Amino acid sequence: MKAVINNTNPENTPPTRAIKRLERDVLRMGALVEQSFRLSHQALFARDLTAAEELPRLDKKIDRFYRQIESDCTSIITLQAPTAQDLRCLSAFMQLVRDLERIGDYAKDLAEIAIKIFPYPPHASLPEIALMSNNAQAMLATSLLALADLDEINGRRLKYLDDDVDHAYNQLYHTLAHQKDVPGVIEPILLLTLAIRCLERMADHATNIGQRVAYIVTGQR
Amino acid sequence: MLLLGFVLGLAVGFGFWLWQQIQLNRYLERVLQPLGSHSGKIGLPLLPCLRQEMSTVKQQHQDLQLSLQTYKELLDFAPLGYLQVDEENQLLWCNQQAREILHLHRWEPGQVRLLLELVRSYELDQLIEQTRDWQKPQVREWIFHPSLDNPKAMLELKPLALQAFTLPLPQREVGVFLENRQPLLDMNHQRDRSFSDLAHELRTPLTSIRLVAETLQTRLEPPLDRWVNRLMQEVDRLINLVQSWLELTEIETNSTMVLNLESVDVRSLIASVWETIEPLTQNQHLSISYTGTQKICIQADKSRMYQVFVNLLDNSIKYSPADTTIFIEMKVISVNEFIMGDRFSQALEINIIDSGIGFATTDLPHVFERFYRGDKARHHESLPEGKTITAITGSGLGLAIVQQIIIAHGGIIKAMNHPDTGGAWIQIQLPEVVANSPRQDYS
Repeated sequence: MKAVINNTNPENTPPTRAIKRLERDVLRMGALVEQSFRLSHQALFARDLTAAEELPRLDKKIDRFYRQIESDCTSIITLQAPTAQDLRCLSAFMQLVRDLERIGDYAKDLAEIAIKIFPYPPHASLPEIALMSNNAQAMLATSLLALADLDEINGRRLKYLDDDVDHAYNQLYHTLAHQKDVPGVIEPILLLTLAIRCLERMADHATNIGQRVAYIVTGQR
Repeated sequence: MLLLGFVLGLAVGFGFWLWQQIQLNRYLERVLQPLGSHSGKIGLPLLPCLRQEMSTVKQQHQDLQLSLQTYKELLDFAPLGYLQVDEENQLLWCNQQAREILHLHRWEPGQVRLLLELVRSYELDQLIEQTRDWQKPQVREWIFHPSLDNPKAMLELKPLALQAFTLPLPQREVGVFLENRQPLLDMNHQRDRSFSDLAHELRTPLTSIRLVAETLQTRLEPPLDRWVNRLMQEVDRLINLVQSWLELTEIETNSTMVLNLESVDVRSLIASVWETIEPLTQNQHLSISYTGTQKICIQADKSRMYQVFVNLLDNSIKYSPADTTIFIEMKVISVNEFIMGDRFSQALEINIIDSGIGFATTDLPHVFERFYRGDKARHHESLPEGKTITAITGSGLGLAIVQQIIIAHGGIIKAMNHPDTGGAWIQIQLPEVVANSPRQDYS
């Protein structure tokens, strides 16, 4: 993280070094979350059940990262007396890993939905949902990129990207909820509604990550 | 008196100077010693010697700098991607190819940033970490999904199959070579596809030829119908080949969809397969012997598993010398080592062992490849005259189909040579054991 290095003296003082390590772990966790999002997308839209079966394992790993990063943050705060900037960074990390962990959870939910929806024929609005999922994935990528570059502008930009996803959510909800004369059971429609809900929440959490990055850089919320 | 004082002072001063000179010479000698050969020469004044030494060292330094530059340029130009990270996984340097493969365009030479900030690949990061921890070179292949913040570009960008070779370097740094395997895989895929298209095209005319031959067969008199019979045999072989290829492609492309899972009793399935193909063994007087678990059921697609055993037993029969036994051994094993998911606790291991000549050691890694034939002479020698050729054998696809079916069932298959009989030894491990006899449970 450039800003962190610039702010303190060039030699790696212990807290800076520890924060660098922490950042590495956060990014590692981010890469894992990104991967599980990708797998859930594959499971849901390419009907790839092996991808769905892999997700619980990934989710466990993500949870382990979450707990470890949180306890590392606390130990740095209590033991190493970080500066104001470092402290801001640490508290933002603690919030941010929670958002990441939630996205991972939703990815797991999507995989469960994919398994349940598998026997039914593909719904007509599936391509539209796939597009929404792509948008949400791009938001996650943007938020992680903003975190890596400590890029405040990209972090703030996420809010506008989120509007697209929200719009897609409303529209899809309308299409799904106002369907008439549905042949057979309504489970596939229910599942798809749950799926778009998950995607919308994932995009929200990505927006949160962007906000936290802006907070690390500027100190303003 | 004054003169004496002056001389004494001069002597003392001279003495000091001399002492200092000696000290200096000693010091210079000591300085020159580690620099190598020239300092050994006696008689040469030390200061010029030092000057010469310095210029050689400078020259050497320049040469080294130059060769370093050359190596760096070579590496930059290399067709493989190369990157180097320090002990904190910060990217120190990468070449042009690596930048292309990993989309590292945001990195500029001279910048030191965490690799994860530039490319979020969990696999790569883990591989580097592992190499550092174990201090051993590693090789791994994985699918790299470049992550993009643009949803439209995401649809166009294809994931890449990458292979990485890592090497631990001094000071806990790690060097990574990256190879893009995607073009190779694409080519393979394209080859298989065009072959399948060809097979599709061949199927219809082949069926017509067979029909025509059938019609001819009834209308020809005895001396001539020999030719048509021969024609029919060959056409059947071709049809079988085309059929097997199409089937193989189908299993491979949608492995999970085509399985029709039910509870299958393996022992009785093998018995029924043996009954069907036993007529082939008439001239060879072969027998079959079971050992291990008597009754065991697995979740599997019955017709596919039937095909597996037809192909395998048929192979065994073909390679077995007369009056020998084919051994079939079944046992339940615990599967921690072979399936990662914690859902399965038990697996069924089936060993099929014949007493033939076995596989040649050089063939072993390839026996499951399509159309792979080992020693051709050996292949034909064991085929007795007049023996009908069953569906799969002789097409070179039998073992490939078996492997695909086993993989679709989530199992693994290995080919070896049995140390006792010297014959081929096929080992299958299948998960999803449903039930076995109660006696087995306690053993």
